[in-house]
Amino acid sequence: MTNNRQAALSMAKLARLGQTQSEASQADQLAQDFDRIVSYMAILNELDTTNIEPMYSPMVDPLGPRDDEPRPSQPQKSEAILGQAPETVGRFFSVPRIF
Amino acid sequence: MTDLWRLDLAQATKGLKKRDFSVTELVSSCLARLKATEPIIDATLAVFEEEALKTAKELDQRGYDPSQELWGLPLTIKDVFCLNDGPTTAGSKELANYQSVFEATVVQRLRRAGAIFLAKTNCDEFAMGSSTEFSAFKPTRNPWDPTRIPGGSSGGAAASVVAGQAPGAFGTDTGGSIRQPAGLCGCVGLKPSYGRVSRYGIVAYASSFDQAGPLAMTVSDCARLLTVVAGPDDRDSTVSRIPTSDYLNLKIPKPADLVLGLPKELWPEDLPAGLAAVLKEAKKLLTEAGVKFIEVDLPNLRYAVASYYILASAEASSNLARYDGIRYGFREPKEDLVEQYAQTRAEGLGPEARRRVLLGTFVLSSGYYEAYFRKAAQVRRLIAQDIARALSQCHCLFAPVASRSAWPLGAFIDDPLTVYQMDLMTLPLNLYGGPGLCLSAGLDPDRLPVGAQLWGRPFDEMGVLGAGALLESLWPPLERPKIVS
Repeated sequence: MTNNRQAALSMAKLARLGQTQSEASQADQLAQDFDRIVSYMAILNELDTTNIEPMYSPMVDPLGPRDDEPRPSQPQKSEAILGQAPETVGRFFSVPRIF
Repeated sequence: MTDLWRLDLAQATKGLKKRDFSVTELVSSCLARLKATEPIIDATLAVFEEEALKTAKELDQRGYDPSQELWGLPLTIKDVFCLNDGPTTAGSKELANYQSVFEATVVQRLRRAGAIFLAKTNCDEFAMGSSTEFSAFKPTRNPWDPTRIPGGSSGGAAASVVAGQAPGAFGTDTGGSIRQPAGLCGCVGLKPSYGRVSRYGIVAYASSFDQAGPLAMTVSDCARLLTVVAGPDDRDSTVSRIPTSDYLNLKIPKPADLVLGLPKELWPEDLPAGLAAVLKEAKKLLTEAGVKFIEVDLPNLRYAVASYYILASAEASSNLARYDGIRYGFREPKEDLVEQYAQTRAEGLGPEARRRVLLGTFVLSSGYYEAYFRKAAQVRRLIAQDIARALSQCHCLFAPVASRSAWPLGAFIDDPLTVYQMDLMTLPLNLYGGPGLCLSAGLDPDRLPVGAQLWGRPFDEMGVLGAGALLESLWPPLERPKIVS
């Protein structure tokens, strides 16, 4: 598997990837917990999983795809949907300028 | 009649049908009970008093409708189900002021059946936790001892039912979040098979594990609630086409016809003595009635916690990516977009949600995907095969729902790995996808409920509910805790 210390050292990178920066006061504790948890995950190395098909879902016999037919959207709700946004401009969501 | 809140769902319907009392009287009794108990247990996040009384009055005016299975019955619902006339926070600051514009299929089906929602119940943030201490708003307290946790993540739902705030509730179970709080609070909780109940409109945590289900005071009440919500929904393609059963018509086996498997990995020798004694006595009652027990092996169970937390965290990190402060939810305004994302999520997500996002991001990241995520999915296959093999030798597996009774608030709040490991008793079933039922085996010496659970084959809810009803009939009924004088 992987070098756990290395994993812990890359916490800053992970936080950037996951967009979940923590307060400096919490960062050390988070890193320690993360290190312990990832170290524990190494238990899976004990198992030989060669040729085992991964199981990503327990789904059995799901509903098939629907017919590709147009369905009415809910235009009457667009105001309510926009009303949930922290900031809007006219009929649009507003974000900080990126260029 | 001042104690209508004590009625279970079946008793309430009987009384409503005979006009012994009105829907308004029933709802008023539950609301009064809610107001009296809430300062002690903190089970709810929003109460719909006015709306509930209005609906009750309308139903009273229209009169009993036998076509509505839950006519006039008050329920509470975990705050991860979207309602279009109330808040949906998922226990998170991210959604503190969120008002959904659509409703969960479960909610729609319950409303159509005549149920009345009294309150949204508290939960760990985004259903990530097993104590309800990770709610961004407040911890919920156990009705048997308010210094202790109610379990989680559906801790508010379980506490509300046991406290008599409503005769039934809905929760979700991703790694045990219905069964474990039902066990720690002393009610019945059913996790249906993955794919039995639509997940549409439920705030997602881990999409290949999440499943909605009922909590109530009796097995037949849970069966009744399942009847209303089970079955295909064209808004959730993961719901199975396998036909639902007539869950109301429970087939209770004769004791001598029931074979229960005991996975030795779920009966550790170091169970606390008080808890072990209750389970031993419960097993003795079943044996004396003629139930047969066999030992079964789940050889890969010791890998279940690692497999689950890798997979569930990976799914969580993907699902929680939507909380970016743009279209809805909390925003920490910044000049720069990327900085805004980061600050919004840093401020809006609590410690456990952040931990799981980081873990999920890690196991999905380049260089680690094969070693962690794919490996965990392969191990999931092995564990599912173990459970299927064990269930081929018996009707249901039988085990404690938790390795300890409700613990004091704060006892493990700084020890996430230990809490993850405590989920070993419940989460393997979510890896497998079968149904599970938790019911009370009795009280331990500290007068805290001890839960036992049954695991069944996928879509054999009938088998699990039937066996559960038999156990319920053979065990002494659990009294309600005295919360207020």
